[in-house]
Amino acid sequence: MTVAFMRNKMVEVEPLPTGNLAVHWRLSDDLIDVDMTLTFQLPDLEIVDAAANVRRSPHREGVRAGEIIRKMVGVRVGGGLRKIVRGLMGGAAGNIDLTEGVLECCNAVILNFTLPGIQEFEKYTYTTEEERLAPVRAMLQANPRLYRSCVAFAEDSPIVRGLDLKGGVS
Amino acid sequence: MITFSRSQLIGMEFLDEEIVRIHGTQEDHIYAMEIEMDVRIADGVILAVKGLMKRYTTPVCPQAVERLQSAVGMSLRVEGWMQAVMRDIGRNGCEHFAEIITECGRCLDQARMAKALAANLKTDPGADPGALAAAWLADHPEAPGVPLAL
Repeated sequence: MTVAFMRNKMVEVEPLPTGNLAVHWRLSDDLIDVDMTLTFQLPDLEIVDAAANVRRSPHREGVRAGEIIRKMVGVRVGGGLRKIVRGLMGGAAGNIDLTEGVLECCNAVILNFTLPGIQEFEKYTYTTEEERLAPVRAMLQANPRLYRSCVAFAEDSPIVRGLDLKGGVS
Repeated sequence: MITFSRSQLIGMEFLDEEIVRIHGTQEDHIYAMEIEMDVRIADGVILAVKGLMKRYTTPVCPQAVERLQSAVGMSLRVEGWMQAVMRDIGRNGCEHFAEIITECGRCLDQARMAKALAANLKTDPGADPGALAAAWLADHPEAPGVPLAL
């Protein structure tokens, strides 16, 4: 059976010569084509530049992407990010694709910094299950906020067992 | 040079007038996963779901595949559905499966509108897509959100 609708989304993180990170995001489907670029300043991951462009949309009346996205300048990746972004982007009266796009850009920045640590895991050799879990357990110990964030870090996971995390897991 | 990249691909097959089959793929430098689910068009309820983990970071991650079944019965149209997916599928299973299901859900009404526009433009190629989209949205108040403008 053929598909009646397709959506492609892409987000890319590009370190800039200035030391900042440019994050390029694009959504293209049967109806709309929109892109945005957010620039994050290190080390506090503050958005210092934001631009968006709608290339295709059947809707002539609605959110003007370029105008609304500039409200993201000054936002930092950190606690309360979702609430802050959704509030600035208009909440329920805002465009969901654009709002979630901003959050996906921020998530990509976090994953960009997560990737080298995971690549380090791949150099690790093990012969027992305990040894296999050791680097993941070390990562969880260093990042206890991950506790209960997914099945791998759930209370009954072998990764968590025996760790002394905040909240007294043992 | 790009140091991290993620792509999502969503495809929607209308099996009949009542059910849409949604395929979702997410691949990035770290993770690679797929979802296939059947959704009832009238109320957005997930009728069936399958997941495939192709690349992940811990040996425990594949346990999230069976936990996906808790998505069956959830509606992708009720208020707060995205938070519910993140909580029930993400925190109890895998955040990345939840991300795919969320994107699939966001496409549900967009696909219905695209299908209607395509049918209208087939019979009347000169029709104004903007007017057709506005008319469809007026007729379908259940379709949420504010559209992007040119």
